Amino acid sequence: MKSSAGRSEFLPKVHLYEDPSAKTLDLRVIVNYLQDKFGKISVDIRPPLFRAEAAGHIARDLAATKVRDITNPRVDMEPLPGEVEFERRLLLDPHLKLPGVLYDGFRLETVARKLLPAEELDTGHAHIIFTNRLFGTWDGEDGRYHARVSVYGFPSLISTTGIVEAPAKPKEYYTMKRRYMALGMLVSFEELKEKFQGRFIDYDDPRLTEVVKGYVMQAIFYHIFGEPFCQDKRCKLFNAHWQEELILAQTVPKASEFCEIHSKILEELKLEWN
Amino acid sequence: MDDFQKYAESDVIIVGGGPSGLMAAKGLAERGVKALLIERNNYLGGGFWLGGFLLNPITVRAPGHKILQDLGVPIKEHSKGLYVASGPHACSKLIAAACDAGAKILNMTLIDDVMIREKRVAGVVVNWTPVSALPREITCVDPIGLESKIVIDATGHDAAVVRQLEKRGLLKVPGYGAMWVERSEDLVVEHTGEVYPGLIVTGMAVSTAYGLPRMGPTFGAMLMSGVRAAEVAYEKLRGQK
Repeated sequence: MKSSAGRSEFLPKVHLYEDPSAKTLDLRVIVNYLQDKFGKISVDIRPPLFRAEAAGHIARDLAATKVRDITNPRVDMEPLPGEVEFERRLLLDPHLKLPGVLYDGFRLETVARKLLPAEELDTGHAHIIFTNRLFGTWDGEDGRYHARVSVYGFPSLISTTGIVEAPAKPKEYYTMKRRYMALGMLVSFEELKEKFQGRFIDYDDPRLTEVVKGYVMQAIFYHIFGEPFCQDKRCKLFNAHWQEELILAQTVPKASEFCEIHSKILEELKLEWN
Repeated sequence: MDDFQKYAESDVIIVGGGPSGLMAAKGLAERGVKALLIERNNYLGGGFWLGGFLLNPITVRAPGHKILQDLGVPIKEHSKGLYVASGPHACSKLIAAACDAGAKILNMTLIDDVMIREKRVAGVVVNWTPVSALPREITCVDPIGLESKIVIDATGHDAAVVRQLEKRGLLKVPGYGAMWVERSEDLVVEHTGEVYPGLIVTGMAVSTAYGLPRMGPTFGAMLMSGVRAAEVAYEKLRGQK
């Protein structure tokens, strides 16, 4: 329910759905963080939404959300049996991490919505789903899909793979990678990563939980105000397109985690709702 | 001619004699399966003779290097998780291993069509490769059918067998995606399996069949995918008995 001021009249109950493949993501820290920011907010941690119990009927639906052509969002095809089987294996073992397939973020959100408890399908609940599936959204301006960290809506999806793969790494990384490829891969990706250590968020990065705090806040801001992002590069609500921006917005210690405007909004919300 | 008649009916036909096809043929023949490998060129090995950029050292990412060790190919750890071997040495060892295991090789043979029986792939129609290079007016060599319980498509990015099914409207193939080496290898191995009743895909044909990212010049996943294709085919054969 939204008030005339354009925001919910009450604090939603927040439900965080685990991604067990993200070893360095500690959702208990996120719960404490949200309680610190919002005061008496109800937050619970739930098992993965895409999990074994749902394997029977959603493996095909998940496979159908795969992006078939990154330059054309209208390519539709019935998933092949091997693709459905692949999804089934991922559902049966949520610890399995096999990034490389790109899904359509909004279609994935539609599949996720069907799995939410019927009694929680209202704005009193903010469902935030962590997944290791990498998704993208279509951008009509340049006519192609772009990988994303998150899709905000009902529910909101945050991709732990997207945190690594969606924001671009430093330009020199790609230049060097191309050069190595041309020379027959005589340098491993692990070695290449070491050269750029710290300059991007990697899989199982110890900074992951800190990074996720900002994306969860974006999801909640979207839920309350309909606007998740801030233009200020130093604010946790900044929509980073480069890893260097992401690291600045989410992990570099600053006097305040949020810009002046969003800090004030958070203070007001905390006062009003507690 | 005796051999030809003997292999007119096989347990498994592997189409494509690159690293994944050879590994699949070796894995099946070792298990006592009657395996026939078809290769369109006169030579076997596909791209396995060479690495990237005209260099003949090939690179294999862990854990694919263990396969080379098992084949008796000398390898060197070049950097963390990345191994290097001589392309000619690795390729010739792999060919020898497939032959030693008992796989039958039919080179200079091109797939022309697939045989479908009771809604499953039941063999391939082949012709001598040079026939395809000559105008029909001067060649009059009819193709022949080779039957099998299972066909394995190991034809690389061409996915020649899969494409035959697509031509008939039995499958829709998305084609391979952009190159993303560090992700494509695991995905190729993971997607190796039956794509249509009686048809298993392996190696880079998997990328084409499922629209996965394209692989770069590393061969670990192709070797491992071949191993997996043999396992899947063997299990299916056992299930058919």
